[in-house]
Amino acid sequence: MRKEAQLGRLLGTAGAAVALILTAAACGNSGGVGGSSNAAQASVAAGQSVTLNYWTWFPAQTTLQKSIDAFEKANPGIKINLREFTNTNYQTELPLALGGGQSLDIVGVQVSAMTNSVRKNLRPVSDWASDLPSNWQSQINSTMLDQTQKIAQDDTLYSIPMGSIGSAFVYSNQALLAKAGITAEPTTSAELAADVAKIKATEPGVTPVAFSGESWWQDEVFFTVADQIDPKLSDELYTGKVAWNSPQMVKALTAYQNLFSSGTLGTGTLSLKEADADNAFNSGKAAFLLEGSWDSSVLSSAYRQANGISVADVGAGYLPVSVAGGSPAARTYAEGGLAIPKSSQHVAQAAKFIQFMTLSQQGESTWAPDLVLVPSLNGYTVPSSVLTSPAAQSGYQTIAQTIDAGGSGRGEYSTTFTSDVLDNSLLQVARSQITPQAEAAKLQSAWASGRYPLQ
Amino acid sequence: MSTHTSTVRPGATLAEGRPAGPATQPPRRRSAAARRLRRRALIPALCFLAPMLALYGVYYLYAFVFLGQTSRENVDLSFSGATDAGWRNFRLVLTDPLFWKSIENNLLFAAVQIAVALTLGFFLAVSLSSGVRFRRFFYIAFLLPSLVPLSLFATVFGQMIQTNGGALNQTLSDLGLASLAQDWTGSPTAAYVAVFLLLTYLIGLPIMYYTSDLTMVNTAVLEAAQIDGARTGQMLRLVLFPMLRTTHKTVILSVLLGSFRWFELIYFSTGGQPSGGTGIAGTYIYGQMFPSTGSAEIGYASAASVIVLLIAIAVSAVNVLVQRRRP
Repeated sequence: MRKEAQLGRLLGTAGAAVALILTAAACGNSGGVGGSSNAAQASVAAGQSVTLNYWTWFPAQTTLQKSIDAFEKANPGIKINLREFTNTNYQTELPLALGGGQSLDIVGVQVSAMTNSVRKNLRPVSDWASDLPSNWQSQINSTMLDQTQKIAQDDTLYSIPMGSIGSAFVYSNQALLAKAGITAEPTTSAELAADVAKIKATEPGVTPVAFSGESWWQDEVFFTVADQIDPKLSDELYTGKVAWNSPQMVKALTAYQNLFSSGTLGTGTLSLKEADADNAFNSGKAAFLLEGSWDSSVLSSAYRQANGISVADVGAGYLPVSVAGGSPAARTYAEGGLAIPKSSQHVAQAAKFIQFMTLSQQGESTWAPDLVLVPSLNGYTVPSSVLTSPAAQSGYQTIAQTIDAGGSGRGEYSTTFTSDVLDNSLLQVARSQITPQAEAAKLQSAWASGRYPLQ
Repeated sequence: MSTHTSTVRPGATLAEGRPAGPATQPPRRRSAAARRLRRRALIPALCFLAPMLALYGVYYLYAFVFLGQTSRENVDLSFSGATDAGWRNFRLVLTDPLFWKSIENNLLFAAVQIAVALTLGFFLAVSLSSGVRFRRFFYIAFLLPSLVPLSLFATVFGQMIQTNGGALNQTLSDLGLASLAQDWTGSPTAAYVAVFLLLTYLIGLPIMYYTSDLTMVNTAVLEAAQIDGARTGQMLRLVLFPMLRTTHKTVILSVLLGSFRWFELIYFSTGGQPSGGTGIAGTYIYGQMFPSTGSAEIGYASAASVIVLLIAIAVSAVNVLVQRRRP
């Protein structure tokens, strides 16, 4: 009897917990708190110094400190209090901080990944454009500006982009290529396959092509292949203009699978993380590296020296064309948006800093030589001292031209379909665990299920 | 006051401890005294419990209510501008095959670790308690993986099972067993084997549970079995194993409920690969909260969390029910 009573109490407690949660669920729909309102502006007496709270994840802290030092020197009444985050943490920390009313003056916004999760707590650029030069829009790359506005669900510009990124590109270790008798960057998958064979023959201990096996990277490579068929194919897939089981899609999946089944890309490499692949390349243990344009810093000899990268010379090129009749492609998008939160009480001063970073040659020259972004400032060119070898110069030019050519939007269409379904499926395609046709049908079925609306 | 003494087994209530023989006081009066005693003890007990109850209220009850609310909303990480989703999130979670796969994996991995703990863990605990040489070294070796942070342990293991250059494949090749080298996170079977290996490393705590209870075993029973001619295997299987029934229960319940918190273990080792094949409830929910592409679906992740919580409560209730009905 006692045991039964105890069991009854236990189940009763569990039942109470269940009831509590379900009651809360049934009473849900608080409707949220909506966006916050603009904070009143603080009055600043003459000679008084203002400190701006600046949160970001980009550029690297050492680089950003140079920018801040230069800005503070030019603007003695303004101090910058910087807090820098890692990429992934920032995507979580900033929305929570802004939603919680944290007083911030300038924030970096990952344009495609974060605009919609923070926009309700940001001031539209139009609110503070009067603090910028009147012709500021003409100074910024119009495509990047357009992308930054278009990504917001309410079609409003909330940040000014520092530049643009794209993927996928191929970086090469020039010394290893020379040793294998390779004289030019591969432009087709057949050429890449031939290069891989030469490297395997001359350097058996070297990974011919290193790349991240993480699921998110698979769609970067796949969409680059798909956009070689039609530069807007991935956009059209997400907007429903082309079905996921269309002939183009099957062709793209087949080409992607062939890269692995031919041995050009090794399935064994799929167990590597992005950092492992980068390390393999940076330590001279990989001849080619598939990466995004955000890794272009390796083209700079000064960067390599400062970061202990033992590769003497690095070149770059677009992802070799893998489909017959295809053209080089890359998905690109504006990146490194600088915005002013509603909670800022120093809008004019914050705008001054954003102007320095995005609209002035002086500010640009403090961070752009890192080559992480292709800068948005019209007419800015990377100093010749940054790219010291012909391979690096030509490589950077190829990357910048491919990004400027425009293609589908990288990360423009936000839905967990990509991470939940597509990325995992692509790993199966790469390992030949499923045929391209079956995979295309599976993707279309998941897309049409209604589970993954665009956000 | 009663003058006689009685044997009260641990955990029994005062009323239960009452001897069956003739009482010097009427039962009703004794029961009333016990109630008074209990009432008097209640106030200091509540005083001691109050801080923890307050913390529980703030961090758990509030979290449950919050979870329940957001599970019926469409909301992102900013938690602003939420819209009503009705029961849609629950419907979508319940019809997602990947969700059910993650629950299935949770239970499978728990079952594997329970099996390993009840067999290998029990055997190792008995072996070490029998006075083998270097037993302190072995205790440390077995316990260490359970003492270091799971994320660190899983990360190292993740590196070990890398296909190219991973320590596991490298060792197999060095031993002339290159044919056994696998794409550990590429093939579903190999990935399961990798996770099972990982779980086997984590039997340190079950070994400790058994070791501490082995010290309380009545050795006279073992001596009697020995005199009766029982062999070592028989003594282990027919005498010691049943005697440690309470420990088995502790091991089963702790592993079963603990399995719902193995997020770091899977996330940092296989990452749920291949294609979510080794994902568990924790990695599934995390994937919805922080997708590598796309916006966080907090409402969907909350609904999944509520369902997982209900499943965990149901699993533990069933477990308790089964344990209590067993003679």
